[in-house]
Amino acid sequence: MTKRLMLMLCAALLCGVFVAACGDDSSSSGGGGGGASEESGQTEGAKVIDPSLADNAKGEVTYCQGKDTSGNAHYMIDEFNKKYGPDLKAKLVEFPASADEQRTQFIQRQQAKSGDCDVFSSDVIWTAEFASQKWLYDMSPYMEDKKADYIEAPVETVTYDGKIWGVPESSDAGLLYYNTSKVKEIPATWQEVYEQAKSKGGIVYQGAAYEGLTCDFLELFFGAGGEVLSEDGTKSAFAEGDAGVKALQFMVDGVKDGAAPKAVTTYMEPESLTAFQTGKPAYMRNWPYAYALNQKAKNVKGKFDVGPQPTFEGGEKAGILGGHNSVISVYSKNPGGALKLIEHIGSPEIQKAYAAQFSLSPVRADVYDDPEVQKAIPFATQLREGITNARARPVSPVYPQISQAIYKNVNAALSGQQSPEDAIKQANSDIEKALSTF
Amino acid sequence: MTEATANTGAPQERRSRGLSEKGLAFWMVSPSMVLIALVAAYPIIYAIWLSLHEYSVRVAGLSRWAEPFGLGNYQAALQNADFWNAMVTTLIFTVASVFLELLIGLAMAMAMHAAFKGQGLLRTVVLVPWAVLTVVTAIMWRTIFESPQGFVNQIIGGDTVWLGSEPQALIVIIIADVWKTAPFMALLILAGLQVIPSDIYEAAKVDGATAWQRFRKITLPLLTPAILVALIFRTLDALRIFDLPYVLTKGANGTTTLSLIAQETFATNRIYGLGAAYSILTFITVMIVSFTYIWTVGGNIRGLAED
Repeated sequence: MTKRLMLMLCAALLCGVFVAACGDDSSSSGGGGGGASEESGQTEGAKVIDPSLADNAKGEVTYCQGKDTSGNAHYMIDEFNKKYGPDLKAKLVEFPASADEQRTQFIQRQQAKSGDCDVFSSDVIWTAEFASQKWLYDMSPYMEDKKADYIEAPVETVTYDGKIWGVPESSDAGLLYYNTSKVKEIPATWQEVYEQAKSKGGIVYQGAAYEGLTCDFLELFFGAGGEVLSEDGTKSAFAEGDAGVKALQFMVDGVKDGAAPKAVTTYMEPESLTAFQTGKPAYMRNWPYAYALNQKAKNVKGKFDVGPQPTFEGGEKAGILGGHNSVISVYSKNPGGALKLIEHIGSPEIQKAYAAQFSLSPVRADVYDDPEVQKAIPFATQLREGITNARARPVSPVYPQISQAIYKNVNAALSGQQSPEDAIKQANSDIEKALSTF
Repeated sequence: MTEATANTGAPQERRSRGLSEKGLAFWMVSPSMVLIALVAAYPIIYAIWLSLHEYSVRVAGLSRWAEPFGLGNYQAALQNADFWNAMVTTLIFTVASVFLELLIGLAMAMAMHAAFKGQGLLRTVVLVPWAVLTVVTAIMWRTIFESPQGFVNQIIGGDTVWLGSEPQALIVIIIADVWKTAPFMALLILAGLQVIPSDIYEAAKVDGATAWQRFRKITLPLLTPAILVALIFRTLDALRIFDLPYVLTKGANGTTTLSLIAQETFATNRIYGLGAAYSILTFITVMIVSFTYIWTVGGNIRGLAED
């Protein structure tokens, strides 16, 4: 009996290790194969693009992005092939819908030095990580004379170590929605917003322990004059000055006095949207995508508006920037074609179609004035203002860990397990630790 | 195939070709051994190798020996307060959920074993939660415990933020796990119940034993081996809990388990060495717990078998 039990136990154990180890293996496949030499500077020696390569580009080029839910990528590729085919052709590879999965998929391909993706649609927060691993072409020579065409903030998200690693593709910024049956307009400061919220049904935002909370906190933190990293990006500046404690105390008080519901500490985007759409809250902090959905929700339809975020009292405005940048893989076998494709994505025609047909926020300022875009995005003017004022999240190769340090400690403070002072101190030391890992 | 048939038909011939029975067995088994080596042994050994090396996030694929003596990652892991918090959380979760599952599973098994009309229906219904995917289970329980408009708060009329407070968040995770896996426990115990011969009960009845006495003196002792197997399976599973906290809380409010911390370090932060060390430490924890089981209760089983 014991023997049989032992056997079963061993089988069960083996199953466990097998599953665990298998997971490990798949996410590290090719882990031994990276491309970079050992001890150079952070991006020193990265391949630099030659803009003239685009001139007589031929052959095939592959564009990789997350699942094409709205159909914009298919449209863009079709237009490209109409324009340049049959000598130069583009094709689309769709990654999973989740951002984490897209990052993993791209990392696996780069670790295996695969040329599968010539152009990758990279989330704005991945630039530093990919660039520091020398997986991307340095696009500075290409962007030099084109920089002025783009809104400055999105270009900032693709800049790391003084070089530009890609071209902005679509943008996104944290906005403030309000219920017009409760408030007529967004007041000048966050303090007034919270004050009103207390008596008018509250403000909802993303307070769960995940990336969304990092964004929501940083908006107040940057507004209060804080900085996450030192100028050169090697040290934490998170606990310098009182911006951290001020912003966090403000959020914690908001939950305590009922300006924000207690449950906000479990909200991600969909939960805050659902709450706002009940018609009860006065305010919601969310991304532009919520506009179209609010128009379909019967309790807030026709009773809401949106605007850029207010300033933090005595400080400034700082919505957080989202969106994607097109980057070229160093393992691309057709960098010229890739460049041509990127040029196409950033062209006024495609940017306009992205906005007018697919509700993506353009990265070129002039596109927002187009009548068709104004019609498709009724809040285009506010959106442009939101994006122009927006701040990029810290650009660092260890950004995921920096973000964890922020959202875990801020969430703990919001749910009352940690004082704001302790949370900021702890986050600061976690960020220091993250920076020391590379 | 033809060769095997020929061989069984003519043992003489086989010997003359120099393939002993042992040799034949070796060749028959080797394909599966190769397969196991490829899909199980290689990843395990690779995970151990990873855990002894240090990876720089900045320079892809760079590996150097994790000082001191290649144990640097283990040192870092064991000195990390988060690891010990995760260990405590995992153990609390395991003890609480397995204990409740055992009680409820036992009750369910007794009910399913009793002969009555609609027994087949009951058995089917009881097993439904087990058939639901864990991620779906998690999303369902998240909706139930949502605040303020969730089902539970509607019923009890409170405004507790279940998933946003400690220890409520862990309690929700335990409830979700018990709901999902008690039927599995019940199934294993039911199998044990069905092999207890009914004449023992009849004899006890004749001797005037009450229902409680029959349960205490007959059912429980004879059920022990089945219960132990069920306990071990569930414990090993519970120690690796990942999906419920991942979906319900992402590890906030004291719900970070060992698997969550390993996944975050390895997959999200790509600190491969440290992440692998966490995995191996989780594995060692599981091993210690299971061998403790065998040592403490293994004797019991042998004793029973000898009776």
